[in-house]
Amino acid sequence: MTAALDKGLLPWLAAAPTADTVPSGWLEAQRAQARARVETQGIPGNKAENWRYTSLTRLLAQGFVPTAESLTAVQREDLEDLLIPGLESYRVLMVNGRFMPGLSDLHDLPVGVRIAGLAALLKSDPDALQGRLNGVVGDAQPLFAALNTAGLDDGLVVLLERGARLERPIELIHLSVGMDEPRVAQPRHLIALGDGAQANLIERYLSLGDSLYCTNAVVEITLGRDALLTHQRIQAESARAFHLSGLYLRLGTASRYQGLNVGLGASWARTDLCVRFAGEHAECDLQGLYLAGDGQLMDFHLDVEHQLPQCTSRENFKGILYGKGRAVFDGLVRVVRDAQKTDAAMTNRNLLLCEGAEVDTKPQLQINADDVKCSHGTTVGQIDPEQLFYLRSRGISAARARRLLCLGFAGEILDALVPEALREQVTEQVGRLLEQAPLD
Amino acid sequence: MLSVKGLRAKVGEKEILKGLDLEVGRGEVHAIMGPNGSGKSTFAHVLSGREGYTVTGGSVTFEGRDLLALTPEERAHLGLFLAFQYPVELPGVNNTYFLKAALNAIRSARGQPELDAVAFLRLMKERLKVLHLDDSLLKRPVNFGFSGGEKKRNEIFQMALLEPKLAILDETDSGLDIDALRIVADGVNALRSPERSVILVTHYQRLLDYIEPDFVHVLAHGRIIRSGGKELALELEEKGYGWLGEEAA
Ligand SMILES: Nc1ncnc2c1ncn2[C@@H]1O[C@H](COP(=O)(O)OP(=O)(O)OP(=O)(O)O)[C@@H](O)[C@H]1O
Ligand SMILES: [Mg+2]
Repeated sequence: MTAALDKGLLPWLAAAPTADTVPSGWLEAQRAQARARVETQGIPGNKAENWRYTSLTRLLAQGFVPTAESLTAVQREDLEDLLIPGLESYRVLMVNGRFMPGLSDLHDLPVGVRIAGLAALLKSDPDALQGRLNGVVGDAQPLFAALNTAGLDDGLVVLLERGARLERPIELIHLSVGMDEPRVAQPRHLIALGDGAQANLIERYLSLGDSLYCTNAVVEITLGRDALLTHQRIQAESARAFHLSGLYLRLGTASRYQGLNVGLGASWARTDLCVRFAGEHAECDLQGLYLAGDGQLMDFHLDVEHQLPQCTSRENFKGILYGKGRAVFDGLVRVVRDAQKTDAAMTNRNLLLCEGAEVDTKPQLQINADDVKCSHGTTVGQIDPEQLFYLRSRGISAARARRLLCLGFAGEILDALVPEALREQVTEQVGRLLEQAPLD
Repeated sequence: MLSVKGLRAKVGEKEILKGLDLEVGRGEVHAIMGPNGSGKSTFAHVLSGREGYTVTGGSVTFEGRDLLALTPEERAHLGLFLAFQYPVELPGVNNTYFLKAALNAIRSARGQPELDAVAFLRLMKERLKVLHLDDSLLKRPVNFGFSGGEKKRNEIFQMALLEPKLAILDETDSGLDIDALRIVADGVNALRSPERSVILVTHYQRLLDYIEPDFVHVLAHGRIIRSGGKELALELEEKGYGWLGEEAA
């Protein structure tokens, strides 16, 4: 395993931190600590609880190295096809993990809102992020979060002061462009909403061309009292890409988080959603939709800990699998001893369209309080023949009918996307994928 | 238009249709009555091509084609329509979207240009009026959470939009209140023309007061055991099926 670590993952840390960031003592200490953690943890084998259903072998074999140079070749024209018609947003563009101020559009930000590149901020105000960076992830970092810290380079910082509100969504486009060598980008995004602040953050992971690369993103979010964050993440990486993303969320008293993860792209994708409550009466809503076809793996891990009373969480994920597509849903909701009046409901429903498709689903509740309302459910099924016949009896072809039923199944999640321009674009993209998919 | 000769069909090992004969001419309305479990819905399903039935004998010709050799959607393209006894709920599938997809699939199979959104909405509005259907039902998923009566009316609404050559109505009158029954009957009567035919499967004479049939048949034990004019329905209403003898019981 050491050899695999040396060859497979340590090269991710090969590049020195961007030369022009001024190294701060605290940051260097965090990096060194994270690197040590990577080395002592080593690579989890298939017995490790978190990696039981997903093998790292294919990822380790790629020989990814960090993106050293800043890619300036991307021009505005290249972006036109990537923009969502009718979506008015504060747009942040990152290319291969680097913030591109020239291609971003952050005009007219209201007072009390700061949106900046992480590297730039660390340079101009080295200590501004002390205490914030890794503030939610903490010290006991899982392997890929530790790698992200050790290789920390750039990312997006969004800070909303108390009461600040954004009318338009913040749209983060994370664009990957293929290079000669397979590259890994490890962006770190820090989102903090002060008391009563409200925002809609859209993360889109996209690529130019059909290239091989790896994204290992970590997002840390803190919500103040009564804050409201709508957070929609669209993973539409290239068909050959590897995608890792870890979301670490801490909710303040009576805050609300409305999260929606859509997994469509990448050859191998792993998403970890880690939720902690820092105050009572907070509500966390996690929804997800994933599609996987031939050669694709979609892995979602949820770790929601109710360590305080009176909080609500909803976890609702749906998957459509076709060809030889594979998915993993491993959802854990824990309720500690004194977290009374916890209200948690987790569901995972899957449509398997082909013989060769597969899903491992494991929703789990661990409840140590007695006055709680918790439930979980999971289904793995096929298209209902009665529904199929009904549509065909109205003249709709079998293939079209299957697609309509799949879209209907996905609709529950897609319909929650806001604003409408985003909903339409993602729904269309799902429709296109289903169009190309073998559906029986 | 429709010619059924000696039709036999099984579900699993159980034979349900046992040599059924029926001739439906252009523009005719036929009522099929018969005891519960006699095979009426099975007959309707076999005609529309539902899976799960094995045809073991006989033939069905529709508009000169061997109907049994066609897929369900091809039968719809030819002009066959089944109003389901139990309409299926399609959660997440928008009713308007579904209706437009169905109409355009049928139009393009017939070589007609597809209707654009505006033309489709206009047509839909026009047909809605006839059925007194609340247009909020069009924004909802197909049949999802509809009341029993709303589901039945939605079936007739689909029929009005798709304008089939042969409509088979499987107990569309069951579960309808008196006003709804009249509305449904109006919808069917509006469709009647010398070109179109209707098969009404029903248990009640009342529907036939509103939609006057040209022929009434009694289906029992998988066969048509008696045929007559509309007076046969009145007789059945009065006497039940017993007087038809052993065969019907
Ligand atoms: N899938 C099935 N498996 C087993 N038996 C079936 C199946 N479908 C129908 N049958 C049987 O076939 C017979 C005819 O059923 P069918 O639904 O055609 O009757 P029907 O005349 O429409 O009755 P009703 O008036 O109650 O609607 C019944 O005995 C029924 O139980
Ligand atoms: Mg029946």
